[in-house]
Amino acid sequence: MSDTVIRFNNVTKKYKLYSSTRKRLLGIFFKKIKYKEKKAVDDMSFEINRGESVALFGKNGAGKSTVLKMITGVVFPTCGEITVDGRVSALLELSSGFDQEFTGRENIYLKGHILGLSEDEIKALEDTIIEFSELGDYIDQPVRTYSSGMKSRLGFAINVNIKPEILIVDEALSVGDNAFKTKCRKTVNNIIEKDNVTLLFVTHQTAVAEEFCKRGIVMKNGKIVFDGPVAEASEYYKTKYNPPKKKK
Amino acid sequence: MSRIKNFFKSYIDVFVLIFKEHFGNLHQIGKLSIADLKKTYNGSALGWAWAVIKPIFTLFVYWFAIAIGLRSGKDVGEYPFILWLMSGIVAWFYMTEIITGGTTCIRRYSYLVTKMKYPITTIPTFTGLSHLYVHVILVLVVIAVFWIMGYAPTIYLLQLPLYMLMMFLFFNAWSLFAGMISAISKDFANLVKSLNIGVFWLSGILWNIENIADNKILYTIMMLNPVTFICYGYRNCFVNHTWFFEQPARLAFFLGWYAVLGLLSIWAYKKLRKEIPDVL
Repeated sequence: MSDTVIRFNNVTKKYKLYSSTRKRLLGIFFKKIKYKEKKAVDDMSFEINRGESVALFGKNGAGKSTVLKMITGVVFPTCGEITVDGRVSALLELSSGFDQEFTGRENIYLKGHILGLSEDEIKALEDTIIEFSELGDYIDQPVRTYSSGMKSRLGFAINVNIKPEILIVDEALSVGDNAFKTKCRKTVNNIIEKDNVTLLFVTHQTAVAEEFCKRGIVMKNGKIVFDGPVAEASEYYKTKYNPPKKKK
Repeated sequence: MSRIKNFFKSYIDVFVLIFKEHFGNLHQIGKLSIADLKKTYNGSALGWAWAVIKPIFTLFVYWFAIAIGLRSGKDVGEYPFILWLMSGIVAWFYMTEIITGGTTCIRRYSYLVTKMKYPITTIPTFTGLSHLYVHVILVLVVIAVFWIMGYAPTIYLLQLPLYMLMMFLFFNAWSLFAGMISAISKDFANLVKSLNIGVFWLSGILWNIENIADNKILYTIMMLNPVTFICYGYRNCFVNHTWFFEQPARLAFFLGWYAVLGLLSIWAYKKLRKEIPDVL
């Protein structure tokens, strides 16, 4: 059975760029104030079915992050229609999205509450998350004292463990050391296979994408320029936009 | 014709949406308000005590400046000036927190806007609630002080929760409106901060507006101020022993202000909801 979980219908997203914040404030009240428009996503349409794993390729500024944010429901399209069906767990900029003043443990609860989980549900997940994040005693320290790696680990641990239906990963699998990376990949692979989770994956590393995803979409200037099997998509992306470099 | 209809419909839609967002997230609102409260007082040695120390100190300073320094501050009716002052200023402490704090509430909780899908109309509500908890404690302290000074609670105290509710709802609408505008631009927050001082001195919190009752026009204008309405509403309960329905004109004006503010916040929501995540 293949039902659509994410559908974009002619979606366009324009950002308004004012020359100063003062102009932006005046722009609320007066229509005459001038601003530039930047099209981040340009009349885009696609569908993603349940259980699919899709990689999004594209150079910086191609509109990938905007697409992901619109799926998450954080950013709104200027026109067009988006339907998303299911609990979205987004690994956008992992190191943020925490309340800096709270401890890691309190943040687990806070996030859980915001997502509408009950006290008992969170309690059941708490230990798994803490263990996964490898934070140890630091879990009871305020998040503002964490290093960026620690924040990312905690963010990752929370997001993959709250049983998402749609998992959005934005270049996040490069967190931590090799052992942790491997663990992350294993977990993501695991939940895709077991729980029929839909995965959306953004990366510049085509090799990692090929490992997870079956379908690949290449974006350029807010438009889809290629949509097909991941191997072809990554080939397309590599040859067109990312000419092979010397070894790292 | 249909344009006017659509216009009204869009306002009603947002109004319904705000209700839905609140009733669908009661659990989250409760938890986040407690979290906000904790955050305010965490990390200082005296912690919770500050919630009481700061207002008492402020009250003392004002009382000293007026009663001792300016040799003003006559008794009001049978009540000493300091009790009269206290009964009104306790409401002001809440209002000033929300006037300035509410303006920055969406900015402070930007991670709820830009990092996850969260109903942002509830941000003013839970930040307001967290201040309301402290306010209720302070009101209980005021009641206790009145009692200790020999003025036992009267039946007029029964209307206090009503004034409290009106205050909460009014400033909730304010936070939603101001929070959204200042999410777009910090200038607005600075503007509000400067105006806040003016509101304080013009609202008859420190001095009794009844003193200028002989200047009918000025007196009437002053009484239309919603901050004054709440402040003197509290004094109705504690000192003046007047029921809220005995001053129907004032109540009507307050509700009028509330309607205007409500419409403004819906207007701001319609206009800015989509833009805020782009700029925060």
